[in-house]
Amino acid sequence: MSHKWFAITKAEYFVLTSSLRPHRKIWMSILLIFGLIWAAYLAPLFIGVVVDFIMPLSEFRGLLLVMFPGLMRAVMFLLFMLLFLMPLSYALQEIKIGQWEILFSNNVRTRDILIGTFLGKIPIYGLIILFLAPPLISVFFLAFEVSLLGQALIYGTLLLMVVTTMWLSNFVTAMIQSKLGDSPRGDDLAKGLAMLLAVAITCPMYGLMFFAPQLSSILGMNVFLLFPFTWSADVITWLAVTFNGLGLAGIQIAAFQDILQLNLATSGLLMVAFSIACLGIGLAGADRVFTLRMGARTETITTIRSENLLLRGMRRVAPGAFGSLVVTAFKDFFRKVQNLSRIAYGVILAVIFPFLISTITFIDASGVDLAILVLMSGIGMTLIGGMTFAGTGFLESKNQLWIIQSAPRGGSRYIKARLALAFLVLLPLTLLPVLVTTVLNGLNFILFSGFFIFSYAIACGSAMFATGLTALNPNYDDTRSPEHMMNLMMSIMVPEFLMMSPMLLIVIGAIIDVPLNRILVNIFGVFGETSAWAITSAIPILVVSGLVVYLGTRSLGQPEY
Amino acid sequence: MPQNGVCIRTNHLNKTFGPIPAVRDLDLEVHEGSRFGLLGPNGAGKTTTVRILSGLLIQTSGTATVCGFDINTHRDKIKAVTGLLPETPGLYSKLSAVEFLEFIGALNGYSKDASHRRIDQLLAILGLESRQDDLLESYSSGMKQKVLVASTLLHEPKLVFLDEPASRLDPSASALVKELILALAEETATTFFVCTHQTSLAEDICDVIGIIINGQLMTLGSPQEIIATAKAANLEKAYLKIVGGKVDRQALLAWRA
Ligand SMILES: Nc1ncnc2c1ncn2[C@@H]1O[C@H](COP(=O)(O)OP(=O)(O)OP(=O)(O)O)[C@@H](O)[C@H]1O
Ligand SMILES: [Mg+2]
Repeated sequence: MSHKWFAITKAEYFVLTSSLRPHRKIWMSILLIFGLIWAAYLAPLFIGVVVDFIMPLSEFRGLLLVMFPGLMRAVMFLLFMLLFLMPLSYALQEIKIGQWEILFSNNVRTRDILIGTFLGKIPIYGLIILFLAPPLISVFFLAFEVSLLGQALIYGTLLLMVVTTMWLSNFVTAMIQSKLGDSPRGDDLAKGLAMLLAVAITCPMYGLMFFAPQLSSILGMNVFLLFPFTWSADVITWLAVTFNGLGLAGIQIAAFQDILQLNLATSGLLMVAFSIACLGIGLAGADRVFTLRMGARTETITTIRSENLLLRGMRRVAPGAFGSLVVTAFKDFFRKVQNLSRIAYGVILAVIFPFLISTITFIDASGVDLAILVLMSGIGMTLIGGMTFAGTGFLESKNQLWIIQSAPRGGSRYIKARLALAFLVLLPLTLLPVLVTTVLNGLNFILFSGFFIFSYAIACGSAMFATGLTALNPNYDDTRSPEHMMNLMMSIMVPEFLMMSPMLLIVIGAIIDVPLNRILVNIFGVFGETSAWAITSAIPILVVSGLVVYLGTRSLGQPEY
Repeated sequence: MPQNGVCIRTNHLNKTFGPIPAVRDLDLEVHEGSRFGLLGPNGAGKTTTVRILSGLLIQTSGTATVCGFDINTHRDKIKAVTGLLPETPGLYSKLSAVEFLEFIGALNGYSKDASHRRIDQLLAILGLESRQDDLLESYSSGMKQKVLVASTLLHEPKLVFLDEPASRLDPSASALVKELILALAEETATTFFVCTHQTSLAEDICDVIGIIINGQLMTLGSPQEIIATAKAANLEKAYLKIVGGKVDRQALLAWRA
């Protein structure tokens, strides 16, 4: 028996670190050494200075001690999500059954694959933890004055939790991959799932940022004693308490007992048992779960029936070639599960946002502040427009681009059709939140109309930006590529920034004593101050996005060098 | 339109990708209505040549005219009168064959009604009508290739570039495509520019053949001329002589030691 799992480990490691390729060993060593120095020395030092700067630790300590158990659970929850869902979401974007077939044909057992892919991931995720964990934990090390032994035990616990989660995630990923198989349909489903998972990751992140106190108090509830991440969190809390250098004793420790409910031994036992169970299930299940149905395209074949009312209506309105292109764009867009989950995301945002806005705008009882309403909806609409049309789902492959380009002005016709698609899809996606906002805030019809036009302009502007950018920098169907990350990030951030740019200008104007505000109102203020706001917020997006679309169209139509 | 019956003329055409020369000093003349075959080993520069001529790639130096239009200045006009069958299928996985062809038609400015009759007939000729409403994701690679052939011919181009048209087709489908090419060339005076490494395909359909090695045109002539000059029994043997495909048994097995 040669070390097949080791070969797989190496392959996985190489794939994950391919961006460091030319000097992989050197880079990884540097990162590791720096990480260790960071964890052992720099991070505590740095955090110590920061804490001292904010408030002397002695005043702060009481608060930290009280916060610790809940916060620890929240952090562990986040870590769990991150380590469990991130690799899963990442892997789903590119189902690798093709590789599996190669592996199996070389007589590799599933167990080897599982162990190999798992170990291959450890270095890179280990490094991430090494850099992220110390700053978080150091605060509490300082607060509790945890002894060195205690610190070592805490890092050990953290490590166990991390390793277990990754093993579990690796197993589940492999299981889902083998079930979805290497079929185009499965691939499509997986991409859709990955999108949803990405949302599932980001939401708690935002949540933690804004609602950290509430969240930790929620997570302090007893239900969470059922979750593995709670056990590790509690073990860490107990370790910090037990090895404290403050001389906590008796009553204080009893107080922790009240909050945490399970004692160190129980939590620790549960945690270790969970890890062992995961390992066992993975190893035992490996060869049983993965009976790959060999061969691609085993899924059902989808046959297209007649077109629905909407598409036929569109053909009626635009009977020519352009209508045909738009109808095709519709079919292509809506048959991809991935796009459906984006739309779902958009709808959820569209419905939640007005509620968020209303709670913010109703801070005092004097009624709605229209300006804030405009600003907040603008932010919401850039998200909806940008998210839904950025990155993927534009061109599937380079070869597709060749085909489109080989038609005269093919690139520009294609982009126009795609934009038409975006504008049509955004109609209901805008109407929904605007209606909800109107009802919630009791706006009249004129305000509703103005509000709708504004929101629609912002959404379309963002979608134009996303489409133009993707044409400039196509990432094809590769959601793992840096191009995709870039397209997605930029499509969300740039329109948002552009929308807020007039406000920034006004603030700057106020500082240097130029009454920009008054000037803008004079120019655009025919319908009052708020409308001037709305118009000035929409103009930069529309102008810049128009430019980006123009550039994108040009670059798509250009032959390559 | 084509001057004195010349459809493609290249003049010292060069293309380099970084340090790699893909096409070197290519001088070609392809006559209107002829069926030109470009043969050569893997990586010889066939696909690169076709991409340059169809206006998808910009040459490093040199000039060319296609159907009387300069490739530097009139790309859209060239695209309007040419069709390209790319080397690898870049189909829309979520469209059916009919929908995909409608899309290609629309890209070339045809409305649905205008292209529909052609689509149905082309798919029938290629034997796909029973599967024409299935999503392309479930097609085999040969079926995809047939759809691409249909998409190439859809707008009745005067000049058709075919990059490996038959590499994925079964023998009868490949015979069908050959007949289609011959019929179109004879009846409609369509010019074909075929890249392939299947010597039998080239021998069957082409009236002029060029062999390109490392980006350089080594041989040009009718299949008969090439076979005669190389003193070979058929085009495959001639090709092997020219390209240097002589194989050494010893070397073939040496790696096992
Ligand atoms: N986009 C590209 N970037 C860099 N090099 C390229 C690119 N396209 C082609 N080449 C290089 O140009 C040379 C010619 O490639 P080309 O695809 O034209 O060959 P070919 O004759 O079509 O080969 P095959 O028979 O395998 O299809 C090769 O060395 C290839 O590596
Ligand atoms: Mg080629």
